[in-house]
Amino acid sequence: MSAEAGRGAHRLAARLAQSLLTIWVLVTLIWLMFRLLPGDPTTALLGTGQLPPDAIQRLRKAWALDDPWLVQYLRYLANLVVGDLGLSFVFREPVMKIIAPALVNTLLLMVPAVTISVMLGVVLGARLGWRRGALSEVAGNIIVLVLRSLPAFWIGIIVLVIFSYTLGWFPIGGIRTPAFFPETWIEEIPGYDVARHLVLPVLAAVLYFVADPLMIMRTAMLEARTEDFVAYAQARGLSDGDVMRIARANAMLPVVTYVGIMVSFAFGGQVLLEVVFSWPGMGRLMVNSVLQRDYPVAQAAFLLMAVLVVGVNLAVDLAYARLDPRIRDD
Amino acid sequence: MTERGLLRFGTPSGRIGLAMFAAFCLVALAAPWLLPYDPLAINYVGERQLARLRPPGGAFLLGTNYYGRDILSQILIGSRVSIGVGLLSALIIVFIGTNVGLVAGYYRGRIDALLMRLTDIAFGIPFFPFAVLLVALLKPSIWNIIITISCLLWRSVARVTRAQVLSLRERAFVRAARVAGASDLRIMYVHIFPNILPMVLLYVAIGIAYAVLSEASLSFLGFGDPQVVSWGSMLYDAYTTGSISRAWWWTLPPGLCITLFVISVFLIARDWELIANPRLAT
Repeated sequence: MSAEAGRGAHRLAARLAQSLLTIWVLVTLIWLMFRLLPGDPTTALLGTGQLPPDAIQRLRKAWALDDPWLVQYLRYLANLVVGDLGLSFVFREPVMKIIAPALVNTLLLMVPAVTISVMLGVVLGARLGWRRGALSEVAGNIIVLVLRSLPAFWIGIIVLVIFSYTLGWFPIGGIRTPAFFPETWIEEIPGYDVARHLVLPVLAAVLYFVADPLMIMRTAMLEARTEDFVAYAQARGLSDGDVMRIARANAMLPVVTYVGIMVSFAFGGQVLLEVVFSWPGMGRLMVNSVLQRDYPVAQAAFLLMAVLVVGVNLAVDLAYARLDPRIRDD
Repeated sequence: MTERGLLRFGTPSGRIGLAMFAAFCLVALAAPWLLPYDPLAINYVGERQLARLRPPGGAFLLGTNYYGRDILSQILIGSRVSIGVGLLSALIIVFIGTNVGLVAGYYRGRIDALLMRLTDIAFGIPFFPFAVLLVALLKPSIWNIIITISCLLWRSVARVTRAQVLSLRERAFVRAARVAGASDLRIMYVHIFPNILPMVLLYVAIGIAYAVLSEASLSFLGFGDPQVVSWGSMLYDAYTTGSISRAWWWTLPPGLCITLFVISVFLIARDWELIANPRLAT
């Protein structure tokens, strides 16, 4: 028992160290990118030729750009550790203050979208894998193929054109109606307005995310069908639905592993859908900051997404070890 | 893998995919001769009236966009960017990934640990947000988009290649080659590589699909080459001019083309997987 606990602790420590290493490499990479590449923020601001030389001198001094690189790098690391992400060039405010609400908005969209996609993928995938007829096979293949091939932003545009511009059921973007005034009792429910704005982006995101969990679940289910415990359950005379539920519970492990990868890839769709639906989250903030050359904000938004991805992957790995006892013995 | 299987190219869906893929490539090659108009020319109707947002039909087969440009011509010329970026990026992705996987799996030990740690880190980076940052800092251009896409997506190829090489290097034919005095390089590229070639080709196909989608997405956000028309940049124009609500003939064709091209590549990949790995077919 204690040996197993020791192995568990060792595994945890190793995974933590690896996650920290990944974050450190990313942080360093970002620092290098922003300083070495042609579009670097200081040349962008100082090299425009609009500033008089003495002003450039003063700014270089204020930003400590003449310090040795190593000093600059260490200062950057120290600031990151204490959560000081600098000042936004555009908003003239601490980056933290701009990015915190954006993070909340991103999670508001992403958490339901990912949850619904995984649940839908498991239920539909299990069903398609269980009924092994020609029809369900063809249907499953086509659904997965088409959904995987659609560009995320185009799904967003089509959803917007159908449900918003043509049918007029939902708002065309944003997170709340400016000066919203509830008129009926439904509209008085707290969060009603935000929920209405949330429907289309979540729908588009689910359409974009659901293909992979669905496909993985279907494959796992096809394999689970031939396992002994399924034959045993059938022999016990359980109903077809009950046998399917048993097989499904056992086929879910690969989907759990996939959630870690999915979150990483979900941020890609997230960035695009936030732009299409003018959703004020981190992805849109990052794109806009890059376009406006507001580099401290762009850098912070990216790092925050990367930390979230690394964190979720760590959590998934640890959860997986709990779910699958075989993993603990490696 | 029989020669017959190679020539006949598997299932009906695979043949449909191959036909679609060939059609797209032909159009891309022949695009300059097929264009009804200059894709960047601003067209007028009559004397001085801008041909803005004309629905399909008449002089403009697929209509015109907000700036009075011919959409069919833009679709035709846009195929070159998508297909070119897709093919080139896929080759680079597979080139890097295969070599990393080969070296790591063959040499084991420290090199393996180092390369796989690097691969783990590449997996920890959210690909698309990183691509946005990188392409913006590098300045938008086709080449920078290709570099950006390639510099992360090699990771899955590296992982899969390494796994295969790990089992191949213990096989009798590799040991025989070593005993016969073949050099490491010779064993890796002459003896092991042909055995992973089917898988490598599969990843070329998957790489094309991801590269095409990534290029379109970057162009849609406005990070494409401003001098070049691509399917993604067409959708960027449609979106930023607020035309998606009224000009379906501008939003549908580029999106459909991207989707159909990616579908064709996935169909070929799936078929190839069946040929390369017959166990899947049962």
